[in-house]
Amino acid sequence: MNAGTASKAAAYAAGLALIAVGLRGIVDQVPLAQWAKWFVGAAVLHDAVLVPAVLAAGALTGLVPAGRRIVRAALVIGACVTVVALPVVLGYGRRADEPSRLPLPYGRNLGIVLGVIAAAAACALVVRAVTARRRAGGASGRGGATRAPRHSRKEARR
Amino acid sequence: MRPALDRYRPPTPTAVLRGIPGRFTSRLHDERVASWLGIALGVSVLVSFGTGLVSHFMQQPAGWMLWPSRPVNLYRVTQGVHVIGGLATVPLLLAKLWTVYPRLWQWPPVRSLVHGAQRLLVFVLVGAALFQFVTGVLNVAYWYAFRFYFTTAHYWTAYILVGALVIHIADQWAKARRTVMTRPQDGVGRRGFLLTVAGASGVVALTTVGEAVTPLAPLAVLAPRRPGTGPQDVPVNKSAAATGVTAQARDPRWRLTVTGRVAREVTLSLADLRALPQHTARLPISCVEGWSVEASWRGVRLRDVLRLAGVDDDAQVRVESLERQGLYRTSQVAPPHWHDPLTLLALGMNGAPLALDHGYPCRLIAPNRPGVMQTKWVQGLVVS
Repeated sequence: MNAGTASKAAAYAAGLALIAVGLRGIVDQVPLAQWAKWFVGAAVLHDAVLVPAVLAAGALTGLVPAGRRIVRAALVIGACVTVVALPVVLGYGRRADEPSRLPLPYGRNLGIVLGVIAAAAACALVVRAVTARRRAGGASGRGGATRAPRHSRKEARR
Repeated sequence: MRPALDRYRPPTPTAVLRGIPGRFTSRLHDERVASWLGIALGVSVLVSFGTGLVSHFMQQPAGWMLWPSRPVNLYRVTQGVHVIGGLATVPLLLAKLWTVYPRLWQWPPVRSLVHGAQRLLVFVLVGAALFQFVTGVLNVAYWYAFRFYFTTAHYWTAYILVGALVIHIADQWAKARRTVMTRPQDGVGRRGFLLTVAGASGVVALTTVGEAVTPLAPLAVLAPRRPGTGPQDVPVNKSAAATGVTAQARDPRWRLTVTGRVAREVTLSLADLRALPQHTARLPISCVEGWSVEASWRGVRLRDVLRLAGVDDDAQVRVESLERQGLYRTSQVAPPHWHDPLTLLALGMNGAPLALDHGYPCRLIAPNRPGVMQTKWVQGLVVS
């Protein structure tokens, strides 16, 4: 057994031991069915709903004629901020007898943050358009290809 | 001749599934992107694990553990990093999972027993990671949508996450190292994508970090807490009304008792406490939910009160609140903390008598200690 295999085996042993410790704690101290619902549910919702939605949004932004990467960056940042802020925006944690908890108008605040992101993206698009025009129809398309060449049908069927 | 329609055979479900991996056309679903995101995510998860353990074991120390009372702001920093860092890691996790998403649809789904076991461990890794981030984000927003106790579930699932992560690192180490160390020549715009993800993390951090770093409070537009909002400019986690202690706390017959392993039991009225030497300490309230605010506290040193009762230097002290129930009704003060001259039984804060919601008539405030252990509405010190 060489050093690589040995360290990998050690990592597997340590990792499995940690998983066992965690699972034992869950079984002993947490309602298992409720916990499993959130553990599996989060993974399923992520893989079956969130990512397909993101892929669909990516495909839709493919229709944007120019500045696609700027639009996508703004959408990615805005969506991430929204996901993290959603629980405070919905405000289910508010309580009348705890007034300093969730004290801000989070819906409005999220709107402002998204507005700033959109404004920054708009500025970037303007800058891009101006520099493109300055280059006066010179060489187009510098680097940064993010799409693979389309598979031929033959290849896809393989 | 047969019509063309007859010759059309719809693709079998297997053929459809087999075709899925080929349909992900973005070249950002790529080993190099996954490696960079994976490294950042791995570091972030391990930092969260470490800071989480600090918080857990400060609240429930194992028998051999003795936490120091200094540095004053240690817990404030570790828990701020845990919560704000955790929030800022959400974009990293989502980006990493998006990058490797085509591998979910690899065909055949299981090639061998070993391959199946590896995929199961990846599911454990993904499930645990999403579980930790979802429950953590909901918890700091006080949205208890789940029917289990957050801290226990979050604590044990952390071991599952880190265990699966250790295995994942062992599996991917060589590949990630090779990928990261080679300069790519394919002109794929990875840098823009990675900067976008970093930007998303940055915006999340920027709009929340002010709940722990007071000078940035005006930027904390999406944080669940705002320094400066609350009685005497400090937020309150549990109000007197919510805990039902209002009448008892206002009762002029309120007394502080020192009992247990003491040379003489002591009973002190609020006037007695005010007659003892008063001290001022600038200390933060550092909540387990990540927010923290410094305040100027004024009151009696805990060690002065304990010396009145004649306690041993190695004594453990249980501080008891007027609250009748709740996990945080009492807290333990170990010798390093009660010996510390900054540890006070506070009677006032920020230049005024203690507000009812901050623990009037008397509360514990000590350096380097989670907010839930800064017991409010103190009525008894039990020495053991």
